[in-house]
Amino acid sequence: MRRAGRGFDPNNKKYIGGLLITPIQLLLTALLIFPFVLELILSFSEWSPVQGIGLWEAVGEVFTEDLSQGINYNILITEEPRFLEALGRTALISVTSLILEFLIGLGLATLFLKAFPAKRVFFTALLTPMMIMPVVVGYTWYMLLQYTGPVNQVIGWIGGGQPDLQWLNNGFLAFFAVVITEVWHWTPLFFLILLSGLNAVPQNPIRAATVLGASDWRIFWTVVMPSMKGIIIIAFVIRGMEVIKLFDEIYLLTRGGPGTATETISLYLYKLAFEDFRLAYAGSAGFIILILTVVLINVMLKPIRYQLLEKR
Amino acid sequence: MAIKLELIKLRKEYGSLIAVDDVSLQVEEGETMALLGPSGCGKSTTLNMIVGLELPTSGDILIDGQSVAKTPVGRRNVGLVFQDYAVFTHMTVRQNIEYGLRVRKVARAEMNKQVDKIASFVGLGDKLRRKPAELSASELQRVAIGRTLVTNPQILLLDEPLSNLEAEMRHQMRRELHRIQLETKQTIIYVTHDQIEALSLAHRIAVMNLGVLQQYDTAYNVYHYPRSTFVGSFLGNPPMNFITGVVKSNGGQRYLDQNGAIIPLPPSKPLTAVPDGKSVKVGIRAETVDVVPAGAQGAFSAELLAVEPQGPEAVITAKFGGGTIKFVVPTSAVPKSTGHVSLVPHANLLALFDAESGVRLMNGAGS
Repeated sequence: MRRAGRGFDPNNKKYIGGLLITPIQLLLTALLIFPFVLELILSFSEWSPVQGIGLWEAVGEVFTEDLSQGINYNILITEEPRFLEALGRTALISVTSLILEFLIGLGLATLFLKAFPAKRVFFTALLTPMMIMPVVVGYTWYMLLQYTGPVNQVIGWIGGGQPDLQWLNNGFLAFFAVVITEVWHWTPLFFLILLSGLNAVPQNPIRAATVLGASDWRIFWTVVMPSMKGIIIIAFVIRGMEVIKLFDEIYLLTRGGPGTATETISLYLYKLAFEDFRLAYAGSAGFIILILTVVLINVMLKPIRYQLLEKR
Repeated sequence: MAIKLELIKLRKEYGSLIAVDDVSLQVEEGETMALLGPSGCGKSTTLNMIVGLELPTSGDILIDGQSVAKTPVGRRNVGLVFQDYAVFTHMTVRQNIEYGLRVRKVARAEMNKQVDKIASFVGLGDKLRRKPAELSASELQRVAIGRTLVTNPQILLLDEPLSNLEAEMRHQMRRELHRIQLETKQTIIYVTHDQIEALSLAHRIAVMNLGVLQQYDTAYNVYHYPRSTFVGSFLGNPPMNFITGVVKSNGGQRYLDQNGAIIPLPPSKPLTAVPDGKSVKVGIRAETVDVVPAGAQGAFSAELLAVEPQGPEAVITAKFGGGTIKFVVPTSAVPKSTGHVSLVPHANLLALFDAESGVRLMNGAGS
C-alpha cells in the first residue's frame, strides 16, 4: 500500500530528477563554486604563499583582525597606477582591434556577396588564421616583425632602404604590432559571422527599397545594417570577451614590453600571480575585472536583450 | 484612352528555360489588369521585368510610349507591393511610408503632409508611430501600399496581394483595393494565381501558362469564351468540362461522338465550319447546362454518380462516355432519382477546341 501524505515517495519524478543531478551538482560545487568563494575571501587579504602563512590561516585572518584592512586593500588596487594603466591599455587595444576587425570583416563579407573568380579558395584562405593556435600566431608575427624580418624588408622594397621600425622594441610601434597580430588573427571570425548575417538579411525589403529608388549605399545603411543589428552585437560580444583576455600573442610578441607598453590586464595578472606570487592581490584585481566585464557585456547586449528574452 | 503600358515581344530566358515567351500586351491608363496563372507560369518574372528587378532577354517595355527596358530599377517611377509586404521592420509606420520621399529628398514639412494624407487614405492615420511587429497582416499590407502610393507611381504593381491574408481579411482587403482603384484612378497590374481575385478586381485578365500568354481579354470574355482548354480549365470552379470525340452528321443534326456516347451540337454559326470526322474537344462550363426531361430537343444523357448540395446550388457528378463531368445546377433542378440524367448545354457558350493542341477552333461571341 502506498503511503499517503508529504513524505518521501521514490516514485515521484521530482525526487528522481533531483537525485539524478545531485552528483554533478556536487562536482560543480567542488570545482567551481568552492574555489570561487575561497578566492573572493582571499582577495580581501594580502596573502601570498611565500609569506609562510597557510591558506586556511589566511582565510581565518580575513574574518578576524585583517578584515577591515583587506577591504581597504581591495579598494586600494583601483588606485594602483600599473593596474589602471593596464586596464586603459586593454581597453585601447580592444577597441582599436574590434573596430578594425569589424570594418575589414564587413568589407570582405560584402565582397563575398558577389561572385568572383576563385571565391572558394579565398574563402578558405580567409578563414584559416582563426584556426591557428594563438601561440603559433604570436610566434609567427614575432618572427615577421623582427627588425631585420620580412615585414621591414617588404616595407624597404616599397619605400627604399632599411626602414628604422623597431616593431617590438618601440612602445608606440609595439602597440600596433599587437593590434596587427590580433586583427590578422581574428578578422576571419567577424568575416564569417557578418557574411552569414548578410546572407540571412531578407531580400524583399531590399528589393522594395530598390524599387522606391534608393541607392545601394542608402539601402546598405537604412535596410541591411539595421537588420544586422543583433548579429553585429553578438559578434562584438563574442570577440569582446576574448580580446579582454588577450594574453598568448602579447606574451610571445613583447612579454608586455618594452617596459609596460603593451602590458594588458591578463599579462599584469599573470605577472602578479606567477612572478610576484601575490595571489590574493591578483585575485582582487581579477574580481574587479570580472565585475567590469559582466557590466560591459550586459551594456552591449542591452539593445537586443528584449529580443533575446522575448517569449515565443 | 491612352495606353499606359505596352509590352512588346517581352522575353526572358534562364539558360535553356524560357520563363516568359514573347509576351505582347497593352494596358490602358486607369485600367486594372490581372496577370493570372499557376505558379511558375512567368507572371512574377513579367512583373519583375516591368519594375526593372530583372532585365528582359529581348523585347521592349513602354511606359507612356517611352521605352524603359534599359532604365535602371528605381528610375521607372513604378510602384511594387510585395506578396510578403516587405515592410522595413525596424522602422515605424511613418518611417516606412516616408522612405520613398526621403530618397527623393522631399522637404520635411512637405513630406509630413504627404505621409499624413496617404496614411489616412489607407486607414493608418492613428498608427504612424507603431512598429510593424505590432501590426496585423492587413495593416502591414496597408503600410506597403501606402509606402508605394506616396511616391505617386505611374503604375501600381501588386504581387499576390491577398494570398498571405486569412479568408475574412481577404474579403475586406479586396474591397479596400477596389476603393483604392476607384479613388486613385491608378493603372494597376495585379499578379495572382487566384481566379476569383482576378475576376472580381480586374478589367482585363492576361492568362499565362508556361511563359506563354494564353489569352488577354476582358474578365467576362476570358471566363465565358476561353481561347484554349488551359484557360477553360484554369478558370471556373468546378472547371470547364472537356469531352473529346469526333464530329459527325446525321441528316441536318451534327453531334459529337465519343465511342458511342453522343452530344448533339447546336447549329450555331461557328460550329458549322468544323468539318465532319474532325477530332475535337467540346468545352462546357459547369454552370451552363440545364437539366431537362429525357428525350428533350438537343439533350444528351449521362449517368448520375453523385450530388453535392451547396446551399442554393448543387454540384452533380455524372459519367459520360469514358470520363466524368461536373455541373452546377440550382438545387431545385437536381434530379430526384439516380440513374440517367438529361442535360442541355447553353448553345451560345459551348466551345470547340482542337483535340491535340487545345486551341479554340472558332472564336465564340467574344471575337
